[in-house]
Amino acid sequence: MNSQVTEKVGIAGIGQAKFGKRSDTTIRELSYEAAIPALQDAGNCANDVDAVVIGVAGDEFAGQGSSGAVINDYVGMTGKPMFRVEAACATGSAAVRAGWALIQSKLASVVLVIGAETMTQVSSAKATELMAKAGETRWEYPLGTTFPSYYALMATAHMHEYGTTREQLSMVSVKNHKYGAMNPYAHFQKEVSLEEAMKSVMICHPLNLYDCCPISDGAAAIVMANEEKAKKLNDTPVWLTALGASSDKMMIAERQDLTSLLATKLAAEQAYRMANLTPKDIDMALVHDCFTIAEIMAYEDLGFCKKGDGGKLIQEGQTYIGGKIPVNVDGGLKAKGHPLGATGVAMTIEAVRQLRGEVGPRQVNDAEIALSHNIGETGQYCFVHIYSR
Amino acid sequence: MRFGFVSFLPETELVAKFLDELKHNRLMGAKCKKCGTRYLPPRAHCACGSTEIEWYEAPKQGKLLAYTIVAFPPESMIKYAPYIPAIAELDDGSRLLAHITDVTPKNLQIGMQLQVVPHQISMDRLTFKFKPL
Repeated sequence: MNSQVTEKVGIAGIGQAKFGKRSDTTIRELSYEAAIPALQDAGNCANDVDAVVIGVAGDEFAGQGSSGAVINDYVGMTGKPMFRVEAACATGSAAVRAGWALIQSKLASVVLVIGAETMTQVSSAKATELMAKAGETRWEYPLGTTFPSYYALMATAHMHEYGTTREQLSMVSVKNHKYGAMNPYAHFQKEVSLEEAMKSVMICHPLNLYDCCPISDGAAAIVMANEEKAKKLNDTPVWLTALGASSDKMMIAERQDLTSLLATKLAAEQAYRMANLTPKDIDMALVHDCFTIAEIMAYEDLGFCKKGDGGKLIQEGQTYIGGKIPVNVDGGLKAKGHPLGATGVAMTIEAVRQLRGEVGPRQVNDAEIALSHNIGETGQYCFVHIYSR
Repeated sequence: MRFGFVSFLPETELVAKFLDELKHNRLMGAKCKKCGTRYLPPRAHCACGSTEIEWYEAPKQGKLLAYTIVAFPPESMIKYAPYIPAIAELDDGSRLLAHITDVTPKNLQIGMQLQVVPHQISMDRLTFKFKPL
Protein backbone atom coordinates (compact mmCIF):
# COMPACT_ATOMS: atom_id res chain seq x y z
CA MET A 1 0.00 0.00 0.00
CA ASN A 2 2.75 2.41 1.02
CA SER A 3 4.48 2.52 -2.32
CA GLN A 4 1.30 3.53 -4.12
CA VAL A 5 0.76 6.63 -1.99
CA THR A 6 1.75 9.45 -4.27
CA GLU A 7 -0.14 12.40 -2.85
CA LYS A 8 0.70 13.93 0.53
CA VAL A 9 -2.58 14.80 2.26
CA GLY A 10 -2.70 17.70 4.68
CA ILE A 11 -5.23 19.18 7.07
CA ALA A 12 -5.45 22.86 6.23
CA GLY A 13 -8.33 23.98 8.42
CA ILE A 14 -10.25 22.94 11.53
CA GLY A 15 -13.51 24.04 13.14
CA GLN A 16 -15.58 22.70 16.01
CA ALA A 17 -18.93 23.44 17.59
CA LYS A 18 -19.10 23.28 21.38
CA PHE A 19 -20.11 19.73 22.36
CA GLY A 20 -22.84 19.19 24.94
CA LYS A 21 -26.58 19.42 25.29
CA ARG A 22 -27.17 21.87 22.46
CA SER A 23 -30.93 22.30 22.51
CA ASP A 24 -30.32 25.76 21.02
CA THR A 25 -29.54 24.17 17.67
CA THR A 26 -30.38 21.39 15.22
CA ILE A 27 -27.90 19.40 13.17
CA ARG A 28 -27.67 22.05 10.45
CA GLU A 29 -26.74 24.95 12.73
CA LEU A 30 -24.29 22.77 14.65
CA SER A 31 -22.60 21.74 11.40
CA TYR A 32 -22.40 25.38 10.37
CA GLU A 33 -20.65 26.26 13.65
CA ALA A 34 -17.95 23.75 12.72
CA ALA A 35 -17.73 24.05 8.92
CA ILE A 36 -17.48 27.84 8.50
CA PRO A 37 -14.57 28.24 10.97
CA ALA A 38 -12.81 25.28 9.27
CA LEU A 39 -13.12 26.99 5.88
CA GLN A 40 -11.93 30.29 7.37
CA ASP A 41 -9.00 28.57 9.07
CA ALA A 42 -8.01 27.23 5.64
CA GLY A 43 -7.70 30.69 4.09
CA ASN A 44 -11.39 31.20 3.35
CA CYS A 45 -11.27 28.41 0.83
CA ALA A 46 -14.99 27.78 0.20
CA ASN A 47 -14.48 28.27 -3.55
CA ASP A 48 -11.53 25.87 -3.64
CA VAL A 49 -13.49 22.98 -2.09
CA ASP A 50 -14.14 20.40 -4.78
CA ALA A 51 -15.76 17.66 -2.67
CA VAL A 52 -17.68 17.35 0.59
CA VAL A 53 -17.87 14.28 2.84
CA ILE A 54 -20.41 14.29 5.66
CA GLY A 55 -20.44 11.85 8.56
CA VAL A 56 -23.68 11.38 10.50
CA ALA A 57 -24.30 8.04 12.21
CA GLY A 58 -28.06 7.97 12.82
CA ASP A 59 -31.23 9.46 11.37
CA GLU A 60 -33.59 8.79 14.25
CA PHE A 61 -31.71 10.94 16.79
CA ALA A 62 -31.99 14.10 14.74
CA GLY A 63 -35.35 13.37 13.14
CA GLN A 64 -33.71 14.07 9.78
CA GLY A 65 -33.17 11.38 7.18
CA SER A 66 -30.12 11.49 4.90
CA SER A 67 -28.78 14.56 6.69
CA GLY A 68 -25.88 15.04 4.29
CA ALA A 69 -28.08 17.03 1.94
CA VAL A 70 -29.42 19.48 4.49
CA ILE A 71 -25.99 20.07 6.04
CA ASN A 72 -24.33 20.53 2.65
CA ASP A 73 -26.93 23.13 1.66
CA TYR A 74 -26.78 24.97 4.98
CA VAL A 75 -22.98 25.39 4.87
CA GLY A 76 -23.12 26.74 1.31
CA MET A 77 -21.71 23.79 -0.58
CA THR A 78 -24.51 23.06 -3.06
CA GLY A 79 -23.25 22.11 -6.50
CA LYS A 80 -20.17 20.31 -5.12
CA PRO A 81 -19.86 16.51 -5.19
CA MET A 82 -21.08 15.34 -1.78
CA PHE A 83 -21.90 12.08 -0.03
CA ARG A 84 -22.50 10.87 3.50
CA VAL A 85 -20.63 8.04 5.23
CA GLU A 86 -21.71 5.96 8.22
CA ALA A 87 -19.66 3.70 10.49
CA ALA A 88 -21.58 3.88 13.79
CA CYS A 89 -19.44 5.59 16.48
CA ALA A 90 -16.49 5.68 14.06
CA THR A 91 -18.43 7.61 11.42
CA GLY A 92 -16.23 10.70 11.76
CA SER A 93 -13.00 8.81 11.12
CA ALA A 94 -14.60 6.97 8.20
CA ALA A 95 -15.40 10.41 6.73
CA VAL A 96 -11.77 11.51 7.19
CA ARG A 97 -10.58 8.31 5.53
CA ALA A 98 -12.97 8.91 2.62
CA GLY A 99 -11.64 12.46 2.28
CA TRP A 100 -8.08 11.15 2.20
CA ALA A 101 -9.03 8.63 -0.48
CA LEU A 102 -10.73 11.28 -2.65
CA ILE A 103 -7.55 13.35 -2.62
CA GLN A 104 -5.30 10.33 -3.09
CA SER A 105 -7.32 9.26 -6.13
CA LYS A 106 -7.16 12.83 -7.49
CA LEU A 107 -10.95 12.99 -7.68
CA ALA A 108 -10.60 16.07 -5.48
CA SER A 109 -7.86 18.43 -4.33
CA VAL A 110 -9.63 20.18 -1.43
CA VAL A 111 -12.24 18.29 0.62
CA LEU A 112 -14.48 19.63 3.38
CA VAL A 113 -15.19 16.87 5.90
CA ILE A 114 -18.00 17.46 8.40
CA GLY A 115 -19.01 15.12 11.22
CA ALA A 116 -22.15 15.89 13.21
CA GLU A 117 -24.73 14.33 15.51
CA THR A 118 -27.59 15.60 17.65
CA MET A 119 -28.49 12.98 20.24
CA THR A 120 -30.04 14.77 23.21
CA GLN A 121 -33.47 15.42 21.71
CA VAL A 122 -34.49 11.94 22.82
CA SER A 123 -34.37 10.50 26.37
CA SER A 124 -31.27 8.64 27.53
CA ALA A 125 -33.21 5.35 27.55
CA LYS A 126 -34.35 6.03 23.97
CA ALA A 127 -30.83 7.01 22.86
CA THR A 128 -29.45 3.84 24.47
CA GLU A 129 -32.02 1.88 22.49
CA LEU A 130 -31.31 3.64 19.17
CA MET A 131 -27.62 2.86 19.61
CA ALA A 132 -28.32 -0.71 20.70
CA LYS A 133 -30.17 -1.26 17.42
CA ALA A 134 -26.81 -0.78 15.70
CA GLY A 135 -25.73 -3.97 17.47
CA GLU A 136 -26.69 -7.50 16.44
CA THR A 137 -30.49 -7.51 16.18
CA ARG A 138 -31.25 -11.19 15.44
CA TRP A 139 -29.93 -12.93 18.56
CA GLU A 140 -28.41 -10.29 20.86
CA TYR A 141 -30.62 -7.22 20.92
CA PRO A 142 -33.74 -9.36 21.68
CA LEU A 143 -31.95 -10.09 24.99
CA GLY A 144 -31.60 -6.39 25.82
CA THR A 145 -27.91 -5.97 25.09
CA THR A 146 -26.74 -2.36 24.97
CA PHE A 147 -23.33 -0.87 24.27
CA PRO A 148 -22.61 -0.30 27.96
CA SER A 149 -23.47 -3.97 28.52
CA TYR A 150 -21.12 -5.19 25.76
CA TYR A 151 -18.23 -3.19 27.19
CA ALA A 152 -19.19 -4.32 30.70
CA LEU A 153 -18.90 -7.95 29.54
CA MET A 154 -15.41 -7.16 28.28
CA ALA A 155 -14.64 -5.42 31.56
CA THR A 156 -15.55 -8.41 33.75
CA ALA A 157 -13.49 -10.66 31.45
CA HIS A 158 -10.52 -8.23 31.57
CA MET A 159 -10.73 -7.87 35.36
CA HIS A 160 -10.84 -11.62 35.77
CA GLU A 161 -8.02 -12.33 33.33
CA TYR A 162 -5.59 -9.54 34.23
CA GLY A 163 -6.62 -8.31 37.65
CA THR A 164 -7.72 -4.92 36.33
CA THR A 165 -9.52 -3.12 39.15
CA ARG A 166 -12.63 -0.96 39.51
CA GLU A 167 -10.35 1.78 40.80
CA GLN A 168 -8.22 1.68 37.66
CA LEU A 169 -11.34 2.11 35.53
CA SER A 170 -12.26 5.22 37.53
CA MET A 171 -8.72 6.57 37.15
CA VAL A 172 -9.30 6.82 33.39
CA SER A 173 -12.38 8.90 34.08
CA VAL A 174 -10.54 11.18 36.50
CA LYS A 175 -7.78 11.83 33.93
CA ASN A 176 -10.17 12.55 31.08
CA HIS A 177 -12.28 14.88 33.20
CA LYS A 178 -9.13 16.72 34.27
CA TYR A 179 -8.31 17.51 30.64
CA GLY A 180 -11.93 18.08 29.66
CA ALA A 181 -11.96 20.88 32.23
CA MET A 182 -9.26 22.58 30.14
CA ASN A 183 -11.09 22.17 26.81
CA PRO A 184 -13.57 24.94 25.98
CA TYR A 185 -15.30 22.67 23.44
CA ALA A 186 -15.88 19.82 25.91
CA HIS A 187 -19.33 18.67 27.07
CA PHE A 188 -18.14 18.41 30.69
CA GLN A 189 -15.63 21.02 31.80
CA LYS A 190 -15.23 19.96 35.40
CA GLU A 191 -12.83 17.72 37.24
CA VAL A 192 -14.03 14.72 39.24
CA SER A 193 -12.34 13.10 42.21
CA LEU A 194 -11.53 9.40 42.30
CA GLU A 195 -14.03 9.02 45.12
CA GLU A 196 -16.86 10.65 43.13
CA ALA A 197 -16.02 8.58 40.07
CA MET A 198 -16.03 5.34 42.03
CA LYS A 199 -19.24 6.06 43.90
CA SER A 200 -21.45 7.03 40.97
CA VAL A 201 -24.62 5.15 40.05
CA MET A 202 -24.23 1.72 38.39
CA ILE A 203 -25.17 1.51 34.70
CA CYS A 204 -24.00 -2.01 33.80
CA HIS A 205 -21.86 -3.71 36.41
CA PRO A 206 -18.93 -3.08 36.69
CA LEU A 207 -19.37 0.16 34.71
CA ASN A 208 -20.92 3.07 36.56
CA LEU A 209 -22.03 6.45 35.25
CA TYR A 210 -18.49 7.88 35.32
CA ASP A 211 -17.22 4.96 33.27
CA CYS A 212 -19.55 5.90 30.41
CA CYS A 213 -19.22 8.74 27.92
CA PRO A 214 -22.21 11.07 27.82
CA ILE A 215 -24.85 11.38 25.12
CA SER A 216 -23.97 14.62 23.36
CA ASP A 217 -24.73 16.96 20.49
CA GLY A 218 -21.80 18.26 18.50
CA ALA A 219 -20.12 18.88 15.17
CA ALA A 220 -16.56 19.07 13.90
CA ALA A 221 -15.15 19.90 10.49
CA ILE A 222 -11.80 19.88 8.72
CA VAL A 223 -10.47 20.96 5.35
CA MET A 224 -8.21 18.34 3.78
CA ALA A 225 -6.05 19.13 0.76
CA ASN A 226 -3.28 17.77 -1.43
CA GLU A 227 0.24 18.98 -0.67
CA GLU A 228 0.26 21.94 -3.01
CA LYS A 229 -3.13 23.26 -1.90
CA ALA A 230 -2.56 22.49 1.79
CA LYS A 231 0.57 24.64 1.81
CA LYS A 232 -1.24 27.42 -0.02
CA LEU A 233 -4.26 27.41 2.31
CA ASN A 234 -2.41 27.18 5.61
CA ASP A 235 1.10 28.09 6.82
CA THR A 236 1.19 25.10 9.19
CA PRO A 237 -0.72 22.21 7.64
CA VAL A 238 -0.65 18.95 9.58
CA TRP A 239 -0.14 15.82 7.48
CA LEU A 240 -2.30 12.71 7.69
CA THR A 241 0.58 10.39 6.93
CA ALA A 242 -0.77 6.91 7.62
CA LEU A 243 -4.09 5.13 7.97
CA GLY A 244 -5.25 1.72 9.07
CA ALA A 245 -8.74 0.25 9.25
CA SER A 246 -10.34 -3.04 10.13
CA SER A 247 -13.55 -4.75 11.22
CA ASP A 248 -14.72 -7.67 13.36
CA LYS A 249 -17.42 -10.26 13.90
CA MET A 250 -20.89 -8.92 14.60
CA MET A 251 -21.72 -11.18 17.55
CA ILE A 252 -19.50 -10.49 20.51
CA ALA A 253 -19.94 -14.06 21.78
CA GLU A 254 -18.33 -15.39 18.60
CA ARG A 255 -15.04 -13.65 19.31
CA GLN A 256 -12.18 -15.66 20.69
CA ASP A 257 -10.84 -12.86 22.90
CA LEU A 258 -13.15 -10.72 25.01
CA THR A 259 -10.33 -8.69 26.57
CA SER A 260 -9.13 -7.00 23.43
CA LEU A 261 -10.45 -5.57 20.16
CA LEU A 262 -8.97 -7.44 17.22
CA ALA A 263 -9.90 -4.64 14.82
CA THR A 264 -7.76 -2.20 16.80
CA LYS A 265 -4.75 -4.49 16.58
CA LEU A 266 -5.18 -5.01 12.83
CA ALA A 267 -5.82 -1.34 12.04
CA ALA A 268 -2.90 -0.19 14.20
CA GLU A 269 -0.55 -2.70 12.58
CA GLN A 270 -1.44 -1.30 9.14
CA ALA A 271 -1.04 2.31 10.23
CA TYR A 272 2.32 1.73 11.97
CA ARG A 273 3.59 -0.15 8.92
CA MET A 274 2.45 2.58 6.54
CA ALA A 275 4.08 5.27 8.70
CA ASN A 276 7.15 3.13 9.28
CA LEU A 277 6.78 3.83 13.00
CA THR A 278 6.33 1.87 16.22
CA PRO A 279 4.09 2.66 19.19
CA LYS A 280 7.10 4.20 20.96
CA ASP A 281 7.32 6.91 18.29
CA ILE A 282 3.85 8.28 19.06
CA ASP A 283 3.96 11.51 21.12
CA MET A 284 0.27 11.68 22.01
CA ALA A 285 -2.86 9.68 21.23
CA LEU A 286 -6.61 10.15 21.02
CA VAL A 287 -8.25 6.80 21.70
CA HIS A 288 -11.84 5.60 21.72
CA ASP A 289 -12.84 5.78 25.40
CA CYS A 290 -16.60 5.33 25.01
CA PHE A 291 -16.20 3.43 28.30
CA THR A 292 -13.19 3.48 30.63
CA ILE A 293 -12.46 -0.19 29.92
CA ALA A 294 -12.24 0.70 26.21
CA GLU A 295 -9.39 3.14 26.92
CA ILE A 296 -7.53 0.50 28.92
CA MET A 297 -7.95 -2.06 26.11
CA ALA A 298 -6.83 0.58 23.57
CA TYR A 299 -3.56 1.14 25.48
CA GLU A 300 -2.85 -2.56 25.08
CA ASP A 301 -4.15 -3.10 21.55
CA LEU A 302 -2.32 -0.03 20.19
CA GLY A 303 0.91 -1.30 21.73
CA PHE A 304 1.43 1.40 24.37
CA CYS A 305 1.89 -1.33 26.98
CA LYS A 306 1.89 -5.11 27.25
CA LYS A 307 -1.40 -7.01 27.04
CA GLY A 308 -3.00 -6.91 30.48
CA ASP A 309 -0.95 -3.95 31.73
CA GLY A 310 -3.45 -1.25 30.71
CA GLY A 311 -4.76 -0.83 34.24
CA LYS A 312 -1.24 -0.43 35.55
CA LEU A 313 -0.45 2.18 32.86
CA ILE A 314 -3.20 4.54 34.06
CA GLN A 315 -2.46 3.80 37.71
CA GLU A 316 1.17 4.88 37.17
CA GLY A 317 -0.06 8.08 35.50
CA GLN A 318 1.75 7.25 32.27
CA THR A 319 -1.10 8.48 30.09
CA TYR A 320 -1.11 11.97 31.61
CA ILE A 321 0.89 14.82 30.05
CA GLY A 322 4.48 14.19 31.14
CA GLY A 323 3.94 10.42 31.15
CA LYS A 324 5.13 7.85 28.65
CA ILE A 325 2.21 8.37 26.26
CA PRO A 326 -0.34 11.13 26.94
CA VAL A 327 -3.81 9.88 25.95
CA ASN A 328 -7.04 11.83 25.47
CA VAL A 329 -5.70 15.13 26.77
CA ASP A 330 -8.70 16.82 25.14
CA GLY A 331 -10.99 15.05 27.63
CA GLY A 332 -11.64 12.02 25.44
CA LEU A 333 -15.15 10.86 24.65
CA LYS A 334 -15.69 10.67 28.40
CA ALA A 335 -15.52 14.41 29.11
CA LYS A 336 -15.47 16.01 25.67
CA GLY A 337 -18.61 14.10 24.72
CA HIS A 338 -19.41 11.59 21.98
CA PRO A 339 -21.69 12.97 19.28
CA LEU A 340 -21.18 9.88 17.10
CA GLY A 341 -20.53 11.45 13.69
CA ALA A 342 -18.45 14.30 15.12
CA THR A 343 -16.19 12.23 17.38
CA GLY A 344 -13.64 11.00 14.84
CA VAL A 345 -13.34 14.41 13.18
CA ALA A 346 -12.85 16.01 16.61
CA MET A 347 -10.03 13.54 17.29
CA THR A 348 -8.33 14.73 14.10
CA ILE A 349 -8.87 18.32 15.20
CA GLU A 350 -7.19 17.70 18.56
CA ALA A 351 -4.25 16.02 16.80
CA VAL A 352 -3.92 19.10 14.56
CA ARG A 353 -4.14 21.51 17.50
CA GLN A 354 -1.51 19.55 19.44
CA LEU A 355 0.86 19.39 16.47
CA ARG A 356 0.36 23.09 15.80
CA GLY A 357 1.12 23.66 19.49
CA GLU A 358 -1.92 25.81 20.20
CA VAL A 359 -3.75 24.19 23.11
CA GLY A 360 -2.17 26.03 26.04
CA PRO A 361 -2.33 24.25 29.40
CA ARG A 362 -3.00 20.80 27.92
CA GLN A 363 -0.24 21.03 25.30
CA VAL A 364 1.97 17.94 24.99
CA ASN A 365 5.43 19.50 24.71
CA ASP A 366 7.17 19.09 21.36
CA ALA A 367 4.44 16.81 20.02
CA GLU A 368 5.44 15.84 16.49
CA ILE A 369 3.54 12.64 15.87
CA ALA A 370 -0.05 12.01 16.97
CA LEU A 371 -2.36 9.04 16.60
CA SER A 372 -6.15 8.79 16.62
CA HIS A 373 -8.15 5.61 17.19
CA ASN A 374 -11.88 5.51 16.59
CA ILE A 375 -14.07 2.46 17.17
CA GLY A 376 -17.53 1.79 15.77
CA GLU A 377 -19.78 -0.39 17.95
CA THR A 378 -17.52 -2.92 19.73
CA GLY A 379 -14.87 -3.02 17.05
CA GLN A 380 -17.06 -3.90 14.06
CA TYR A 381 -15.46 -0.74 12.66
CA CYS A 382 -12.03 0.62 13.54
CA PHE A 383 -9.95 3.46 12.10
CA VAL A 384 -6.43 4.46 13.14
CA HIS A 385 -4.80 7.61 11.76
CA ILE A 386 -1.26 8.89 12.26
CA TYR A 387 -0.46 12.59 11.87
CA SER A 388 2.78 14.53 11.66
CA ARG A 389 3.88 18.15 11.53
CA MET B 1 -43.35 -17.79 18.40
CA ARG B 2 -40.83 -14.95 18.64
CA PHE B 3 -37.26 -14.99 19.97
CA GLY B 4 -36.25 -12.97 23.02
CA PHE B 5 -37.81 -10.15 25.01
CA VAL B 6 -38.07 -7.61 22.19
CA SER B 7 -37.79 -7.79 18.42
CA PHE B 8 -36.89 -5.45 15.63
CA LEU B 9 -36.60 -8.08 12.91
CA PRO B 10 -39.27 -10.34 11.47
CA GLU B 11 -38.83 -14.01 12.47
CA THR B 12 -37.63 -16.14 9.59
CA GLU B 13 -38.09 -19.86 8.96
CA LEU B 14 -34.66 -20.42 10.51
CA VAL B 15 -35.73 -18.77 13.78
CA ALA B 16 -39.03 -20.67 13.80
CA LYS B 17 -37.19 -24.01 13.46
CA PHE B 18 -34.67 -23.01 16.14
CA LEU B 19 -37.44 -22.05 18.58
CA ASP B 20 -39.42 -25.18 17.83
CA GLU B 21 -36.43 -27.32 18.82
CA LEU B 22 -35.63 -25.11 21.81
CA LYS B 23 -39.14 -25.63 23.12
CA HIS B 24 -38.26 -29.32 23.30
CA ASN B 25 -35.04 -28.50 25.14
CA ARG B 26 -32.79 -28.98 22.14
CA LEU B 27 -30.24 -26.25 21.40
CA MET B 28 -29.69 -26.34 17.65
CA GLY B 29 -26.91 -24.77 15.63
CA ALA B 30 -26.21 -24.69 11.92
CA LYS B 31 -23.24 -26.44 10.33
CA CYS B 32 -21.87 -25.81 6.86
CA LYS B 33 -21.81 -29.03 4.85
CA LYS B 34 -18.92 -27.72 2.78
CA CYS B 35 -16.39 -26.24 5.22
CA GLY B 36 -17.75 -27.57 8.51
CA THR B 37 -18.05 -24.15 10.21
CA ARG B 38 -20.56 -24.22 13.06
CA TYR B 39 -22.89 -21.36 13.87
CA LEU B 40 -24.66 -21.05 17.21
CA PRO B 41 -27.21 -19.51 17.16
CA PRO B 42 -27.79 -20.70 13.58
CA ARG B 43 -27.42 -18.85 10.28
CA ALA B 44 -29.07 -19.55 6.95
CA HIS B 45 -25.85 -19.28 4.93
CA CYS B 46 -22.20 -19.97 5.56
CA ALA B 47 -19.72 -17.11 5.23
CA CYS B 48 -17.63 -19.39 2.98
CA GLY B 49 -20.20 -18.98 0.22
CA SER B 50 -22.01 -22.25 0.74
CA THR B 51 -25.76 -22.33 1.27
CA GLU B 52 -25.76 -25.99 2.20
CA ILE B 53 -26.41 -25.93 5.90
CA GLU B 54 -27.40 -28.75 8.20
CA TRP B 55 -28.68 -28.61 11.75
CA TYR B 56 -26.69 -30.05 14.67
CA GLU B 57 -27.50 -30.30 18.34
CA ALA B 58 -25.14 -28.20 20.47
CA PRO B 59 -24.07 -29.14 23.99
CA LYS B 60 -26.03 -27.39 26.72
CA GLN B 61 -23.30 -27.33 29.31
CA GLY B 62 -20.51 -24.82 29.64
CA LYS B 63 -18.74 -22.33 31.84
CA LEU B 64 -19.16 -18.61 32.46
CA LEU B 65 -16.67 -16.34 30.65
CA ALA B 66 -18.10 -12.87 31.25
CA TYR B 67 -21.20 -11.23 32.67
CA THR B 68 -22.75 -7.88 33.44
CA ILE B 69 -25.72 -6.71 35.42
CA VAL B 70 -27.78 -4.25 33.40
CA ALA B 71 -29.16 -1.63 35.77
CA PHE B 72 -29.84 0.98 33.07
CA PRO B 73 -31.77 -0.80 30.32
CA PRO B 74 -32.81 0.47 26.90
CA GLU B 75 -36.36 1.82 26.71
CA SER B 76 -37.95 -1.44 25.56
CA MET B 77 -36.37 -3.54 28.34
CA ILE B 78 -37.22 -1.37 31.35
CA LYS B 79 -39.70 -3.87 32.80
CA TYR B 80 -37.11 -6.68 32.80
CA ALA B 81 -34.27 -4.78 34.54
CA PRO B 82 -32.05 -5.58 36.27
CA TYR B 83 -30.97 -8.55 34.17
CA ILE B 84 -27.67 -10.39 33.75
CA PRO B 85 -26.40 -10.92 30.19
CA ALA B 86 -23.50 -13.36 30.13
CA ILE B 87 -21.24 -15.17 27.71
CA ALA B 88 -20.56 -18.85 28.26
CA GLU B 89 -18.23 -21.26 26.54
CA LEU B 90 -20.04 -24.52 25.84
CA ASP B 91 -18.41 -27.91 26.06
CA ASP B 92 -17.65 -28.00 22.30
CA GLY B 93 -15.83 -24.63 22.50
CA SER B 94 -18.63 -22.55 20.95
CA ARG B 95 -19.77 -19.41 22.76
CA LEU B 96 -23.23 -18.14 23.47
CA LEU B 97 -24.79 -15.00 24.96
CA ALA B 98 -27.83 -15.30 27.25
CA HIS B 99 -29.20 -14.06 30.56
CA ILE B 100 -28.25 -15.98 33.69
CA THR B 101 -31.18 -17.00 35.83
CA ASP B 102 -31.49 -18.40 39.37
CA VAL B 103 -28.41 -16.61 40.62
CA THR B 104 -27.69 -13.71 42.97
CA PRO B 105 -24.98 -11.21 42.00
CA LYS B 106 -22.91 -12.40 44.97
CA ASN B 107 -22.82 -15.95 43.64
CA LEU B 108 -21.67 -14.96 40.16
CA GLN B 109 -18.23 -16.32 39.47
CA ILE B 110 -16.35 -16.46 36.20
CA GLY B 111 -15.63 -20.09 35.44
CA MET B 112 -18.81 -21.37 37.14
CA GLN B 113 -20.62 -24.25 35.41
CA LEU B 114 -23.82 -23.37 33.57
CA GLN B 115 -26.59 -25.16 31.74
CA VAL B 116 -28.61 -23.79 28.83
CA VAL B 117 -32.36 -24.01 29.51
CA PRO B 118 -35.36 -22.88 27.46
CA HIS B 119 -37.34 -20.06 29.04
CA GLN B 120 -40.88 -19.13 28.03
CA ILE B 121 -41.14 -15.35 28.46
CA SER B 122 -44.80 -15.06 27.51
CA MET B 123 -47.36 -16.97 25.42
CA ASP B 124 -45.61 -16.01 22.18
CA ARG B 125 -42.04 -15.38 23.28
CA LEU B 126 -39.28 -17.88 23.95
CA THR B 127 -35.59 -17.58 24.77
CA PHE B 128 -32.75 -19.62 26.25
CA LYS B 129 -31.09 -18.82 29.54
CA PHE B 130 -28.09 -20.00 31.55
CA LYS B 131 -28.77 -21.70 34.85
CA PRO B 132 -26.03 -22.58 37.35
CA LEU B 133 -25.42 -26.32 37.56
